[in-house]
Amino acid sequence: MNQRAKTKPVSTSVPRSRRLKKINWGSSVIAIVFCVIWFFPTYWMLKTAFTPRADALSTTPSFLPVNFTFDNFVTAVTQSGFFLNLRNSAIVVLAAVLVAIVVGMLAAAALSRFRFRGRRTILVVILILQMIPPTALLIPQFLVFNATGMLGNYIGLILAYVALTLPFAIWVMRGFFLALPAELEEAAQLDGASSWQVLTRILFPLVLPGVIATSVFTFITAWNDYLVAYTFMRDQTMYTLPVWLASFSSPVTGTDISGQMAGSVLFSLPVVVFFILLQRKLVSGMSAGAVKG
Amino acid sequence: MSGSKRSARAFADRRGMAALLLSPAGIVILAVMIVPIVVMIFTAFTNFNQRSLFTGAYDMVGFDQFEAVLTNPEFWASFVRTILFTAALVLGSVLIGVGVSHLLTRIGGVLRTIVTVVLIFAWAMPNVAASLVWNWLFQPGYGVFNWLLTQIGIFGDMTDTDWSADPALAFIAIWMLIVWQAVPFIALTVYAAETQVSPEYIEAARLDGASDSRVYRSVTLPFLRPTIMLVTILSTIWNFNIFNQIWLVSHGGPNGATATLGVFTYITAFVSFDIGGGSAIAVITTVLLAVVTSFYIRSLVRSGEDL
Repeated sequence: MNQRAKTKPVSTSVPRSRRLKKINWGSSVIAIVFCVIWFFPTYWMLKTAFTPRADALSTTPSFLPVNFTFDNFVTAVTQSGFFLNLRNSAIVVLAAVLVAIVVGMLAAAALSRFRFRGRRTILVVILILQMIPPTALLIPQFLVFNATGMLGNYIGLILAYVALTLPFAIWVMRGFFLALPAELEEAAQLDGASSWQVLTRILFPLVLPGVIATSVFTFITAWNDYLVAYTFMRDQTMYTLPVWLASFSSPVTGTDISGQMAGSVLFSLPVVVFFILLQRKLVSGMSAGAVKG
Repeated sequence: MSGSKRSARAFADRRGMAALLLSPAGIVILAVMIVPIVVMIFTAFTNFNQRSLFTGAYDMVGFDQFEAVLTNPEFWASFVRTILFTAALVLGSVLIGVGVSHLLTRIGGVLRTIVTVVLIFAWAMPNVAASLVWNWLFQPGYGVFNWLLTQIGIFGDMTDTDWSADPALAFIAIWMLIVWQAVPFIALTVYAAETQVSPEYIEAARLDGASDSRVYRSVTLPFLRPTIMLVTILSTIWNFNIFNQIWLVSHGGPNGATATLGVFTYITAFVSFDIGGGSAIAVITTVLLAVVTSFYIRSLVRSGEDL
């Protein structure tokens, strides 16, 4: 009764939308505390990356940056192998994204704009392949690539990344194709366009924004991979950046924590930029098709 | 233009076209996924080991590997550990995620943007980088987390605590790491659904005298159920497969105490080089996960996905 007495006058005097967005101070305080806790690891990484190594290793941590410096970034990139491993990452990831996107786009078109027997089965198989544990697929890939001489070189890693990303790429791009109205195709066909012309002149250009978004998802998945590269690439000159980063602690001087955090910042940077640009699509894209976690 | 109006020839053309479009992906998937899966199942019936990698020689051993795995107490320990850890991760990240989603509906626009940005930062950090940050936060001697806990004083002096050397502490640290990165996806996905709750229902419930928490339980939560179901299943699959974070924080140690099935498979196949045994574990894990995946597919179909 009390509640009703409080609510009723409000509902008549304040427009509905305003009232629903009423700010709740208790919630604001919780939100601020949440932000402090959730941002702290990122802050600590950045703070350490800009602090000289000697100051970072202090038994009483300082929560504000002291002796702000860029030296750690110089140390990180001049560390043996950074540019070489960056190049490896770039070659392998870009090649895998290219294959997965081109091949995946054709398959996505077939699975969305055409109806044929077995289509449902193919879709279910794609979803199941998508969910196979990465450590499970790793063993037979290792054996097959070992037997065919593709272990430790680009080709093997590219193929492994295509396997990691292709099912997901097909699934997500299929969603973008499905969003296009069927009338588009029908109108073009009435005008005498062949199936191939409908695809290349009408559907592909329209689905391009979705293809770009999917390329970015694919890029992130391959860029972040540690497991496959760590297992396949035994030679340091063939490492990709995640393996480089994780093995940062090996030099004679022991772990250079500031350098390692600077390296982590550099490695994370492209991914963070992509996430900020694609935030909205990530939410819908990931829940629709799922990225390997 | 309906199928019946279309000439038989055009229809055959379109079928040929579909097959043509599918074949490159089909060949690639066959080569890099289907063939390896067949190889995996085959290898699980052999005694393939490190020597076989060089000589190519191995023997068929029938179900011996499966028998060895299923009678290995380490496997069962890892199995139970994986289920408990996955449950703890899913529970933690879904509860916090749903809470944060609701929080987002109750705060002002500026603060909401700040929370969203904070979430994206935690989400976007590659898990290799995040694991290294975690090792630093929890480093014995200099870790800021150890320092903070020591200052709070409840647990005594934790300055030199080595989190990865104690199974319970290692799990707690890894749990925090994974939940930290998992909450953003769940919170933002659930929030996207929560903004779709019809205001009329909420207002009607309010007029009937329902309190905020009652409105949330009786109107909002039922509406969110399909979304929460979906993120729960996805989280289960992802958390079941977690490898990097455990490997980089504790290496599955101490003494295999934090080796979930993924890590256990890896150690068996690539550290002990018992590749036959590793394949048997991989087959078992894949079957287990296929069961969870079937729930995911069912939930997708239910949520209106047209397969």
